[in-house]
Amino acid sequence: MALHRCAVVGVGQTHHTSCRGDVSIAGLVREAVDRALLDANMTLADIDAIVIGKAPDMLEGVMMPELWLTDSLAASGKPLFRVHTAGSVGGSTAIVAAQHVMSGLHKRVLTIAFEKQSDGNAMWALSVPLPFSMPVHAGAGGYFSPIVRSYIRRSGAPSHIGAMVAVKDRTNALKNPYAHLHEDHWTLEKAMESPMLWDPIRFVETCPSSDGAIALVLASEDVADKMPGKKAWVHSTAMRSEPTMFAGRNQVSPRAGEMCAEDVFRKAGITDPLKQIDAVEMYVPFSWFEPMWLENLGFAPKDQGWRFVEDGVTEMTGALPVNASGGVLSSNPIGASGMLRFGEAALQVMGKAGEHQIDGARTALGHAYGGGSQFFAMWVVGSEKN
Amino acid sequence: MAAPGTPPIIATVGPDGSLMAPLRLFYPYDRTVGAVIGRFLTSLAAKKIEGTRGVDASVHVPPLEFDPATGVALTEWVAVGDTGLVLTWSWQPEPFADNTLQQPFAWALILLDGADTPMLHAVRVASVSEMSTGMRVRAVWAAEPTPSITAIMCFEPESAHG
Repeated sequence: MALHRCAVVGVGQTHHTSCRGDVSIAGLVREAVDRALLDANMTLADIDAIVIGKAPDMLEGVMMPELWLTDSLAASGKPLFRVHTAGSVGGSTAIVAAQHVMSGLHKRVLTIAFEKQSDGNAMWALSVPLPFSMPVHAGAGGYFSPIVRSYIRRSGAPSHIGAMVAVKDRTNALKNPYAHLHEDHWTLEKAMESPMLWDPIRFVETCPSSDGAIALVLASEDVADKMPGKKAWVHSTAMRSEPTMFAGRNQVSPRAGEMCAEDVFRKAGITDPLKQIDAVEMYVPFSWFEPMWLENLGFAPKDQGWRFVEDGVTEMTGALPVNASGGVLSSNPIGASGMLRFGEAALQVMGKAGEHQIDGARTALGHAYGGGSQFFAMWVVGSEKN
Repeated sequence: MAAPGTPPIIATVGPDGSLMAPLRLFYPYDRTVGAVIGRFLTSLAAKKIEGTRGVDASVHVPPLEFDPATGVALTEWVAVGDTGLVLTWSWQPEPFADNTLQQPFAWALILLDGADTPMLHAVRVASVSEMSTGMRVRAVWAAEPTPSITAIMCFEPESAHG
């Protein structure tokens, strides 16, 4: 069955920050929704269906918040679909929303992802002591640091690579008014002196805890064609998962991630990602994941991802700019972070990324991962129709 | 590791020989209510009950942030009375320790005068025989109201006030 075309026609996000005490979860979500609808020149009444995602309910302690959010989304009487895929959920949610359009079922779909981390405590919500099991980690950093150590050992990467990525992303964030962290004092030397949190992950190499939301308006081809302004056409989407633990699992470069990347590029007709992709928004909550994902996604040969970082390939001025927005390292409203990657990729090909625009970006990749590096979601968007 | 203050896990053997251990979810949460519920609760501490007016002119008490039919953000505030009508009720013969009333009482949906949606609260009466659908009640304010629904300690039959 041939898929119908789908375009991103509106992008809206909140200013991400550590605590939005002035709004309820509904108010936070609505802020992003109103901005996306304004960008698309639509109202809630124009929307046919809504797809919403957030990280596990336990992070805020609100069960099935999508039901509570019905009024704020004017969802009464409309299809409202919730997506659950842990930290990758923002990406998966955008993909499910795109499928609502690509299937031909709906013409105008609103998709939203959010997290109000200040209402909860993700660090401990992710570290529940389980009976009869060894409690081995504290928070996501505790889980991922041995994997990063393994990458460093395998690849022979020098210890400053993580700090280089952190300085790049924090510096890029200065050009993104919505980013949580606006820190203009980072140099490689200062970053190397940043306190060690989970060896080898330093404080500066870690994402913040953010409150924030993002919404996208997706439209069918006939609707999008009638709209003025630039769109981001969804060229391909892909999702893959694998279990957290199994014998022989490659946690540094999970097979599910490799397969997801192969699939998303194949479906978009991309044979040489490094040449054909102009901008990447990659899910990098800990800086070392940039070189790791460069390899997993097929941009860099095995064990060579860190050389791309060292050579400045992923800088805004490099051949493959990664996270011009400042990325997850500069804003992490967990459930929203994946959709922020997808939305920022769309903004790049729409030419609407403002100060962090990559000149001439025509094709961009949005990437999200979640759980124990086990859920992957990706889309390729382009300025021209696929 | 576990959140600070988490009790240790101790496994026990049950009477059927099964090995059991508690799984305790233990970590702190905070709640922020936002501007609309925030104003409602703050007004309660000043012994005022307020709702928001919906797009169809209905007065919602407690207030809604967004209109349930259209999603429009509701910004018009309406003060309502602290008296109203019991629409339906249920008897609680044995209060829980955290109930504001420590005697048998009724839970009731109360349509306050000036409101179009009912609010759940407790009604204090001497016995269940004094409760009836359609009876009129009046708020009894806490001695020192705080910004919380318990600023209203309970409702009582209006007739009790003469």
